[in-house]
Amino acid sequence: MKQLKCFLCGSVLAGALFSLACHKDNNGSVTILFDHRVGAEPLELLAIKYHAQAGHLYSVERLKYYISNFALHREDGQAIRAAAPHYREVGVEETATLLLPDVPDGRYTSLSFIIGLDSATNKPNGLPQTVQNINMEWPIPGEEGYHYMKFEGKYDSMGSGVVKSFNVHTGATNNHPYYVEVSLPLTHLTIDKDSWSVQLVMDLNEWFQNPHTYDFEQFGPGIMANEAAQQMLHENGASLFSVADMQKQ
Amino acid sequence: MKRIARLACMAMVVLWWLSCAPETTEDPFTYNPTPYAFDVPAWFPPMEIPAGNPTTVQGVKLGRMLFYDTALHPTGETSCAGCHIQQQSFSSAASVLPHINLAWNTAFLWDASVQGPLESIMLFEVEKFFKTDRSRLQNHPEYPRLFYEAFGTKVITNELIAKALAQWERTMVSGHSVRDMAVWADIGLFLTDEEVDGALIYYTEKGDCFHCHGGILYTDNLVHNNGLDAVPPLPGYGAVSGQDSDYGKFKTPTLRNITLTAPYMHDGRYQTLEEVIDFYSEGVKNSPTIDPLMKKVHLGGVHLSVKEKSDLLAFLKTLVDTSFIHDPNLKTPF
Repeated sequence: MKQLKCFLCGSVLAGALFSLACHKDNNGSVTILFDHRVGAEPLELLAIKYHAQAGHLYSVERLKYYISNFALHREDGQAIRAAAPHYREVGVEETATLLLPDVPDGRYTSLSFIIGLDSATNKPNGLPQTVQNINMEWPIPGEEGYHYMKFEGKYDSMGSGVVKSFNVHTGATNNHPYYVEVSLPLTHLTIDKDSWSVQLVMDLNEWFQNPHTYDFEQFGPGIMANEAAQQMLHENGASLFSVADMQKQ
Repeated sequence: MKRIARLACMAMVVLWWLSCAPETTEDPFTYNPTPYAFDVPAWFPPMEIPAGNPTTVQGVKLGRMLFYDTALHPTGETSCAGCHIQQQSFSSAASVLPHINLAWNTAFLWDASVQGPLESIMLFEVEKFFKTDRSRLQNHPEYPRLFYEAFGTKVITNELIAKALAQWERTMVSGHSVRDMAVWADIGLFLTDEEVDGALIYYTEKGDCFHCHGGILYTDNLVHNNGLDAVPPLPGYGAVSGQDSDYGKFKTPTLRNITLTAPYMHDGRYQTLEEVIDFYSEGVKNSPTIDPLMKKVHLGGVHLSVKEKSDLLAFLKTLVDTSFIHDPNLKTPF
């Protein structure tokens, strides 16, 4: 009888421990979708049709970038952080979303992230040596790390019909990190053991207009070592993203 | 009488034992695949191998034989090795892309017309390029046994030929160039001043080689129009995608072992690296699909001085891995 009591007590205790261990399974999840537009228009690759504030029509041929240090902030101050930097490449659908799989219940009031990589990660081999990451390397001797963004396209210079290229490649230059910190308010994201999706939209025009007018003619087709260009993009980058939609799944 | 009965009983026991013993007829085929241990430099990305084609010692052995054997050709005229020669980093004067480090490729051929894992391009080679007559292998005295040892079946299919070739090609890893040794291997090897100056041209926007030929693989695996012609005579990837915007785009070749892989460009128009450097310096031509990364196209190129060209060439020579072209494991097994 005593043995049976011990067995039952042990079972209850084990069950309780198991339940506690599995408690995380009762949390919710949030999927972040990274989308793009140019001004009021959806992003369409290759068409030279978008208006840069400096006066040029431009196209987008390739867009690749890192989002890192992503966090959801609960009203009590707790932050839920993504496990690793997220690589986004337009045209590669599997990079479109970032999943936060284990988000505790509560009301979340903001999200924050970096466009690019912080200094702890932006160094040689700071990211896993995948084909994707090695193609983003920033190999300038003495400044090795990663491109934060490769945004490449062409522009019709002031409507002259002369088409030139631009390569907005952002990254750390001359010991200035230049990554962009973003913080966005959330209005009604309350997790109750459910799944949500949050659509973030990058307005590509913002790289070239707010608060500074970025002129392709002024900076030329290659800006990796150009501190003035990097600083301007760093400042313009803060207003790129907005929360376009939130849905309970 | 008792003695006879005893002998009869013993005989029956022996007969019973013989009847129950496993058949001892020797089966010439055995299937006991052994996982292959890759020798990949630590500085390379992890190799992704399709779950449906694990690499085995037997599969690699079979793939190596198929690669060097003219049996893949319907009339036995040539083999894969006829165009992919080890001493030339598995390329040749036929202007074929070198077969090195293909394990990390996902787009194959100059026009990137075959995409997917290595098995895809090997199936293309078997079915579209060679148009292999499988009966030559099926009726061969050795191959049915080798296929059984690799895949557990004597029935030879195009898919299994492609799988064996893919397994073999994954072992063709070239990652011990002079620069690898200087940068990664920590063996006290240093580049010369000229090579270091060349690296500065390569890895900055001065020469801007690295945006397409960057990373440890020295290729971005993408297609580009690099400005060879004002009116590209060949569609390249444009014929694959059907898009005008892709006209004249070709795959970026790796620059590993580049001194061994002449001639250069998709049509082999340049015989020497000096000609290639001259092209990027002063010969780049504009066209509607020119890649944005050809940043100095309006100036005709990046305009390097004689000294800068010499330095860049010196750096390119550090990308050669001589151990690879002499690796006995990659030589013909015949």
